[in-house]
Amino acid sequence: MITIQTEDVDIGNLITAAKRHGTGAIVVFDGIVRDDDICEMELEAYGEVAVPELEKIASEAKMIFNLLSVDIIHRIGRLTIGENILVIVVGAGHRNEAYEGSRFIIESIKKGVPIWKKELCKDGDRWVPGEHPHGCGPGK
Amino acid sequence: MTVKVRFFARFRELLGTDIIVSPMEGIVLSDLVKEVAGRNREGYQAIFDEEGVFKEFVILMQNGKRVENSAAGMTLVKDGDEIAVFPPVAGG
Repeated sequence: MITIQTEDVDIGNLITAAKRHGTGAIVVFDGIVRDDDICEMELEAYGEVAVPELEKIASEAKMIFNLLSVDIIHRIGRLTIGENILVIVVGAGHRNEAYEGSRFIIESIKKGVPIWKKELCKDGDRWVPGEHPHGCGPGK
Repeated sequence: MTVKVRFFARFRELLGTDIIVSPMEGIVLSDLVKEVAGRNREGYQAIFDEEGVFKEFVILMQNGKRVENSAAGMTLVKDGDEIAVFPPVAGG
């Protein structure tokens, strides 16, 4: 499953569904709204570009790291502290492939998928600056 | 011709989004964005520097494909195009 949605996701169900013949390791990345003295977080996406970009990243990760399954669920809308923002479930034959594949996916998302976060605080709101100044790479 | 301009994140807050415009034939991408962003001073200043050049971090897309800022002055806008303008991404 590769999706951008407002609803939360059942990680246990994703793990169960990711198991298949040959699976020896599943790595779950769960990005969470951290309590940085904020009240809530609001996320928005350019969905028509972001979903195909997530699909492309998943395909690349499968090919490079020989992954057996990839699920990426990125949430948008208003989230409170402790809620899931991004869940990545990666299945592979061995742990190294699963760990490396998971890392590749999260770093690729941060680098180039058009999604933005805004922290809503008591003393005002603040857009989270991107880690990669140029965002989406050429030709995407 | 009719073109849709979409701003995201801070740019959306300042300028709105899904703005339908009818620019003249032959307009280039940079001029179109200037025209639309010019409706709000703060929005314009968020995207362009004092010389009217795109700020380095601004990202442009035409129909979902990235257009380098340096090429926006030579990129023709066509009927039915969707132009997106946004700041650096921060997902994950």
